[in-house]
This record gives sequence, structure tokens and C-alpha cells, in this order.
Amino acid sequence: MEYRLDRNAHSLLDPRTKLLLLFTSSVFVIGTAGGRQMVIFYWILVYLPVLLLFAEKEWKAGTVAVAVYVGSYFAQRALQHDLTAVESVLALMLFILTKILPTVILARYIVKTTKVSEFITAMHRMHVTDKITIPVSVIFRFFPTIGEESKAINDAMRMRGIEMGAKKATEAVEYRMVPLIASCSIIGEELSAAAMTRGLDMGKKRSCIWNIKFRLQDYAVTALCFACFVWWGIGRFFV
Amino acid sequence: MDNNNRLNAKDLINVGIYTAICAVICCAVAMTGVIPIMMVLLVVFVPLLTGIPYMLFLTKVKKFGMILILNVLMGAFMWLTGMSYYALVVGIVTGLIAEFIYKAGNYKSKKLGVLAYAVSGIYCWANYLGIFLNAEAYFSTRQNFGQEYIDAVTGLLPMWMCPVLLVVDFVCGLIGGWVGTKVLKKHFEKAGIA
Repeated sequence: MEYRLDRNAHSLLDPRTKLLLLFTSSVFVIGTAGGRQMVIFYWILVYLPVLLLFAEKEWKAGTVAVAVYVGSYFAQRALQHDLTAVESVLALMLFILTKILPTVILARYIVKTTKVSEFITAMHRMHVTDKITIPVSVIFRFFPTIGEESKAINDAMRMRGIEMGAKKATEAVEYRMVPLIASCSIIGEELSAAAMTRGLDMGKKRSCIWNIKFRLQDYAVTALCFACFVWWGIGRFFV
Repeated sequence: MDNNNRLNAKDLINVGIYTAICAVICCAVAMTGVIPIMMVLLVVFVPLLTGIPYMLFLTKVKKFGMILILNVLMGAFMWLTGMSYYALVVGIVTGLIAEFIYKAGNYKSKKLGVLAYAVSGIYCWANYLGIFLNAEAYFSTRQNFGQEYIDAVTGLLPMWMCPVLLVVDFVCGLIGGWVGTKVLKKHFEKAGIA
């Protein structure tokens, strides 16, 4: 029997597709493998995460992302001539922004839309060992936590007048790192206890309430990713 | 089946947590790499700052494989965030070596822990290998940074800097590990976390 929970919990893509897309994006967008020859795929990979944002009804974030892309595209066109020092720094910032932003959006999308349980089941079907799957799923879960914790600690330290970039830099670092690591470690203990009660240690096959399978859009995105690598391979070894 | 030596969920979750902390610190430091001199100094700051979480992590390590997994994940993270895959390859090797070093002290010795940290931290240096081994390809992907940036970075990184950076990375690893043990003593042992 198939259980159907809240349909919104299902995202558009399968966890496996998401990971493949993240990998492809980091190779071709951040790593800019292939250069000129990949330019069409590059733009597809840049705008695909925005489409995913829209698919999740994140209209505001999606619009801002498009505005940043378009703006930085024209700014970079304007900065093609010989650069002065200030312009060079500006171009650098824009470059980093346009390189990293698509993958950041994608990573955020993945963290937000993938249930840990979904992820583990999908990995299990790919026969990835638990030794990799469990730490990775913890990492995915932990990035937002670290952000929240460090924000709270930052506020607390500001209230005590311990600012970043003050005279005692080591103190500023110590007073932030130590509480952050301490609270993360405690959260980790709780997390392991929770995992224990859910029988992660049993060594039996787990069941998953979400229905994970490849759908049409998964095949489309997977095909796109493979096309990227194949086209890159052609350019690299045959031309 | 010998259950005591197998990694259970608790160990794996610990690996995940400390990898996440190290990765966040690396990221925060690496953001400063847009300034050419900082690009070189990354090899100083990353080992210094990740020392604290790493030494705490080592106190939780009691079984073979945990350091290796952390290094593999950090290497994969570096690769995904646009460094070269050298970090992954080097990370696996140094992770294994660190694993054996820490094992030699029965997963207790602090001195060997510091040494293990310094060795495993060499993946940070591996990020530069791309520049040394294939400078042209590396900078061809970074044309938009402006010629000045490229000149500045290549000026700071002539070929002989390669072994120097390795040594610097290792020494900073030792210092970072030592600072880590101090912080551990000062804060975490008192709080009962370590």
C-alpha cells in the first residue's frame, strides 16, 4: 500500500537527480570546465536553479536572482576594456557572484526540499555505503543549524561588546568559535540519540514513507547533465 | 561479528557534524581569497582555525575510519566548491596516514593527535596544486578576475613556493592543533563535552 502525505513535501526532482545536477553545476559553472564550447550549457545550468525556485513558488528569491544575473551580465559587458584597480576588484566580485550564485541557489534548494529520509533511501538504492550517506545527510542538515547558531552567538557577543575586528582578534574568534562548536556538539548528541530511536543502527533495510522514483522531469534533467559531460568530452578529446 | 570496532550511527553523525563545522570555517576563510595576498595566506588561516573543531573531533574518534571519512568529505566539498580534485586525492592519502598516526597512540595521545591533524590538513595545500601544475588552464578560467589579479597571484606563487607552502601548511597545522588542545583544555573539558 502506498501512503501519500502532504503533496507539497514532494519536490519536483528526485534526490538523485538533484545531486547529479549539483555536481554538474559545480563542474561547469564554478569550475567552468570546457570554457567557450560549453556556453549554451553554461547558461542553461545558470538559469535552471531559478526555474526550480519558481517551481517551489519562491517568487521573490527567483526574481532577485534573475535581476542579479541580468545586472551583472551587463555590468561585465561594460567592464570589458582595460581595467583600473577599482574596476578590477568590482569585476572580480561580479565574477565570483555569477559563478557561485547558481550553485548556492541549487544547494539551498536541495537542502530545503529534500527530506533526510528521502535522501538516505535514494542513496541506499544507489548502493552508496552508510559510511558516506549518514555523514553527508548530517552535513546537509547542519549547514542551516550552524548559520542560526552563529547568528545567535553573534548577537549575544555584540551585546557584551565583543566585536569582530576589535583589538583582540584572537579573543573575538575564540568567543565565537567555542560556543558555536559547543552547541553544535550538543545538538549532535541529541541528533544521534534521535537517530538511535529511529533504528538507524539496526542494520536492517529501512522503509521510507515517501514514494521515490524517477519521473519525466528527472529523466530530462539527467539527460541534460549527461549531455553536458558528453559534449565536454567530445570537445576535449576529439576536436 | 565484532560490533565494537564497526562504525555505528553515532560515530558517523559525529563525523558529519565536525565536517560541517570545518567546511563552514573553510568557506568563511576562503571568501577572503579575492585579495591576492589572502589567497596565499589561506594555507595559514585554514589550518589555524579548523584546529579547534578538529581536536574536539579527535576526542570522539575511537575507531578506524572516522578521520578518513572526514577527509574524503572535506576533499569532495573542496571539489564541489570549485577547487580542484587534487584536494580529494591528497585528502584520501593524508587521511589514511593520519588515521594510522592517531591509531598508533591508541586514539588517546594528544601529541599524536596534533601530528595527525597537521598531516590530514595537507589537503588544504593540495588546493594550490592546480595553480602549480597547470597554471595556464587555472587562470584561463579566471580571466574575468582581471589581469592584475592574475599577475599578483602568479607573482606570489612562483614554482619554489610549492614545497614552501607545504611546509607552512604543515607547521600551521601543528600550531593549530596545539591551539586546539589548549582551547579544549580551557573550555570543553570543563564543560564535559570533550
